[in-house]
Amino acid sequence: MTTTTAAPDRAATRTERGSFTDLLHAEWTKFRTVRGWVIGMVVAALVTLLIGLLSAVGSHTSCNGGPCHFLYPVGPGGEAVTDSFYFVHRPLAGNGSITTRVTSLTGLLPTASNGRVHAGQGPQSGMHPGLEPWSKAGLIIKESTRQGSAYAAMMVTGGHGVRMQYDYTQDVPGLPGAVTAASPRWLRLTRTGDTVTGYDSADGRHWTLVGTATLPGLSSTVQAGLFSTSPAYNVTTAQGLLGLSGTGGPTLATGVLDHVSLLGGQPASGWSGTLIGGGPSAASPVQGGGYHQAGGRFTVTGSGDITPDTPGGAGPGQTLDHTLVGAFAGLIAVVVVGTMFITAEYRRDLIRTTFAASPRRGRVLAAKAIVIGSVTFAATLAAAVVAVPLSSRLLRDNGNYLYPVNTLTEVRMVAGTAAMLAVAAVLALAIGALVRRSAIAVTVVIVAIVLPYLISVTNLLPAGADQWLMRLAPAAAFSIQQTIPNYPQAGNVCSVAGGCYPLAPWTGFAVLCAWAAAALGLAVFLVRRRDA
Amino acid sequence: MSLASDTAQALTRPAPATAAAGLRDTLHAEWTKLRTAPGTAGLLVAAVALTVAVSAAAAVATRCPAAGCGQDPAKVSLTGVYLGQVVVAVVAVLAISGEYSSGMIRTTLAAMPRRTTVLAAKAVLITGLTLAAGILAIAGSLLAGRLILPGHGFTAAHGFAPLSLADGPVLRAAAGSVLYLALIALLSLGIATAVRDSAVAIGLVLGLLYLFPIVAAVVSDSHVQRHLQQIAPMTAGLDIQATTGLRSLPLSPWAGLGVLAAWAAAALLAGGLVLRLRDA
Amino acid sequence: MLGPLPYNQRMDTAIEVSGLHKRFGRTPALDGMTFAVPPGQVTGFVGPNGAGKSTTMRVILGLDAPDKGTALVGGRPYPSLRQPLRQVGSLLDAGALQPSRSARNHLLWLAHSQGLNAGRVDEVIGRAGLEGVARRRAGGFSLGMRQRLGIAAALLGDPPVLMFDEPFNGMDPEGIVWMRGFLRSLAAEGRAVLVSSHLMSELQDTASHLVVVGRGRVIADTSVADLLAAASGDRVFLRTADAARAVTVLERAGATVAATGPGTLTITGLAAGRVAALLGEHAVPLSEISEHRATLEEAYMRLTQDAVEYRAEPAGSLEEAAAQAGTGEARR
Repeated sequence: MTTTTAAPDRAATRTERGSFTDLLHAEWTKFRTVRGWVIGMVVAALVTLLIGLLSAVGSHTSCNGGPCHFLYPVGPGGEAVTDSFYFVHRPLAGNGSITTRVTSLTGLLPTASNGRVHAGQGPQSGMHPGLEPWSKAGLIIKESTRQGSAYAAMMVTGGHGVRMQYDYTQDVPGLPGAVTAASPRWLRLTRTGDTVTGYDSADGRHWTLVGTATLPGLSSTVQAGLFSTSPAYNVTTAQGLLGLSGTGGPTLATGVLDHVSLLGGQPASGWSGTLIGGGPSAASPVQGGGYHQAGGRFTVTGSGDITPDTPGGAGPGQTLDHTLVGAFAGLIAVVVVGTMFITAEYRRDLIRTTFAASPRRGRVLAAKAIVIGSVTFAATLAAAVVAVPLSSRLLRDNGNYLYPVNTLTEVRMVAGTAAMLAVAAVLALAIGALVRRSAIAVTVVIVAIVLPYLISVTNLLPAGADQWLMRLAPAAAFSIQQTIPNYPQAGNVCSVAGGCYPLAPWTGFAVLCAWAAAALGLAVFLVRRRDA
Repeated sequence: MSLASDTAQALTRPAPATAAAGLRDTLHAEWTKLRTAPGTAGLLVAAVALTVAVSAAAAVATRCPAAGCGQDPAKVSLTGVYLGQVVVAVVAVLAISGEYSSGMIRTTLAAMPRRTTVLAAKAVLITGLTLAAGILAIAGSLLAGRLILPGHGFTAAHGFAPLSLADGPVLRAAAGSVLYLALIALLSLGIATAVRDSAVAIGLVLGLLYLFPIVAAVVSDSHVQRHLQQIAPMTAGLDIQATTGLRSLPLSPWAGLGVLAAWAAAALLAGGLVLRLRDA
Repeated sequence: MLGPLPYNQRMDTAIEVSGLHKRFGRTPALDGMTFAVPPGQVTGFVGPNGAGKSTTMRVILGLDAPDKGTALVGGRPYPSLRQPLRQVGSLLDAGALQPSRSARNHLLWLAHSQGLNAGRVDEVIGRAGLEGVARRRAGGFSLGMRQRLGIAAALLGDPPVLMFDEPFNGMDPEGIVWMRGFLRSLAAEGRAVLVSSHLMSELQDTASHLVVVGRGRVIADTSVADLLAAASGDRVFLRTADAARAVTVLERAGATVAATGPGTLTITGLAAGRVAALLGEHAVPLSEISEHRATLEEAYMRLTQDAVEYRAEPAGSLEEAAAQAGTGEARR
């Protein structure tokens, strides 16, 4: 140590400055020399890993008794997508544009009564007229007819007005209101290099720019044309501890389009109709489709959707955060250890020795918080780093489809989970210092973090109420595990069971941090005032 | 020598109590202990208040806009049990682990060396207290549901009669919820006796209650999911609250409560064994 | 090990501990602990810290289970007693109570466990001198007050046998005097009283019998008088004007004489009365004669030094040590 040769006054200043380091060292020694606490941390790491593995082992998906072959297309951004629609198209070489007028969008919904959909014999029997909010028809410029290829589209929708959507994840609103013969909608897409620009108009003369899509590496020859599609209808009939039970079925949308004009390089070819997707292995039920051309008037009928495939949807996929379900068990263990780290001192009056040795009580609590937080982070990070790849592999081996996640998101989920557990341990420490009774402190913290999640994931409360719980309660931090963003245009309800949280990942984490900071602040205030 | 033989007489005087009287004295002592422990009454009041408050809040938050909305009004009005059970668990855990943390368990076992009897007396008293608190909590919850739910679409027009204990399934849900709370208390008492430390005990109890449904929610295999729901103490036990859609339950209501009873019995057995075998 | 005792002998034995062995992990806590506590006297249970005193008491109370051996109270194992506090009152750990409960309520639940009523609680509160504080939180008590509360609890069942573990801990001098008188009065009432202490001096003038332990077994089981006599070793202190003649006379009588100063001698091998008589016969002048009396502390230190020697011996000599323990018992 260099300090042994330092001048006395320097040593003194070092002691002054270094005292917090000494405090940390003392608290770390306290932690590591209680066997029960070290065991508790090891248990936290082990259950985080093992429960994830067990639940992966228990997750089998089979299709007709055999292994499933998932043919989910992957979009340009690497995300799983649904890409099913009816496409009336012609090739477009180089730059150009396509324009049309939409005069009508109608559809058919499955007929449901008493919560059951009556499936008819023919493709359209047992259905009644109606539109899904995200039923759509309009123009599309697409790299190719391959599912998952890049695209940009202008469309009218059943309930969301005119939209420009591209590359599955992007959605820009245009003119509001429904389309009728009396108020038709004009749509235009213009391609220039990698850029596709969308315009809309109510009269075909005054055009408004809606959005500009950049589709990197778009081929020189693309497919341009008309499309129609309509997502499946879902209805929730019961909720409770057993989760949602619902029913639904495929729907159809029919768009009527005229004044179709395609300008630009056109290899000699006519319009052709292609059903994109819609095979038996598609994620969502699809009714097929077709088109009819009479003069300049196209009637296009389609079923399906062009969106990111998200967990709330009809697909049987699992989200990556399921590999960390063991974090709940780990959470309980770290909360127990974090609470005991302070309440044990109160129970045995050790706190007096501690405060006699370090009279600045706020710093003692801070040192304890840093020690328990760091230890928790290290232990659970190790567990999570092992759990995610192992459980993912097990899930895939068991025939499950895992939604693809990019590396950055995966790192955020893994490190964020460990950070969440670390902050939870600090919250437990603070509550422990406040109430000084371990049973009550443990209960308060676990109930505050786990119960709102449980209520949300099991749909115990009506949607809305549980969303507010997941915004305000410390449980909000579980949003750090969300791996698939929620896309409103996918038409799914954002549900915790589907791996979707009402708050953004870091915002939710900040809610827990705020709770922990408030509790720790109050604990410092009280511990300073109270007799030890 | 006369002093010594007095002592000897005192030593060899027949045990003044039969086994039944011994249990009675133990019960009396444990009752005095519970009664004079400062937390017990407050926690039981909190259990009742939280149960009724959460039940009422759930009733306020739930709406049934049309016939066939799939809601179970009895279950909605008994939602508070999810929180109330936690407080009941704390009461039961503290009844034994409080003695370990203070060292008083040695005084207790020196005064009452029949350890199984001590545990039995604690179990009887905790059961009694939880039943009493549970009756109040459930009655309050049902009353809140009866007053609130008709204003939220649970009307005769939508196929719902007002909640009434004269209705067989509602009575079963209510009585079963009271029993559920008592069984949760016994489960907690057993676990706390086995592990002694209150923080570890309550952590184990809450883990046992909460982890099964969370894991069940992420497991994709519906068979595994159903089995998890069948063996989970909370999920299976709360089947007793269902009054509609009984056929879709993983277990019949009473069988579900039986699963919880088996958990409680196993925990008490483990606690009893540890209490008997380990040094105090 | 001892077999069934005849009826009259059983009456004379309030506590009987035989051959207790117990290990905590790899550390032996009790290693053949054997002794008996008779009624009508205070038996001191002494030994250095960690000698196994508290463990023995916990085993007697059925709190800890021995690996081997038995502990009987009034001829029966403690756990078989129906209302044990009417047979044995004990104070092991004064802090063993729930701090938030009042002293009176603490005694009340204990009384109820023995089928006793609240009136008995008030009696023992009076006897332990707790009237003024009985309704206060026991957690706020000083150690001395907690000791008194523990003593009140021990007295609840008016038991013929009492056990106190380190009762002098935390007591002020006044309290120590009170405690000594109190223990003696309990013995005078015919009760068997076992008092442990790691300080022999605390038991001076209180205990009439001693069980000295070290490393989990009994080193000496003896009356206080015998122990002192053995430790004193018949040494006589003499001051005389004619030291030379005194040496001649006494050495002729077979004594060993050592000069400890000008005109002062220490004589070993002759009782003080015999020394006085011899010197009188030979007209040797003497100005002072006294018997050297060892303090209990000295006697204890000698014994526990021996205990240290036992410990240092290799494991092979366990039998020898057991034989020595047996000799001690036979001598009693």
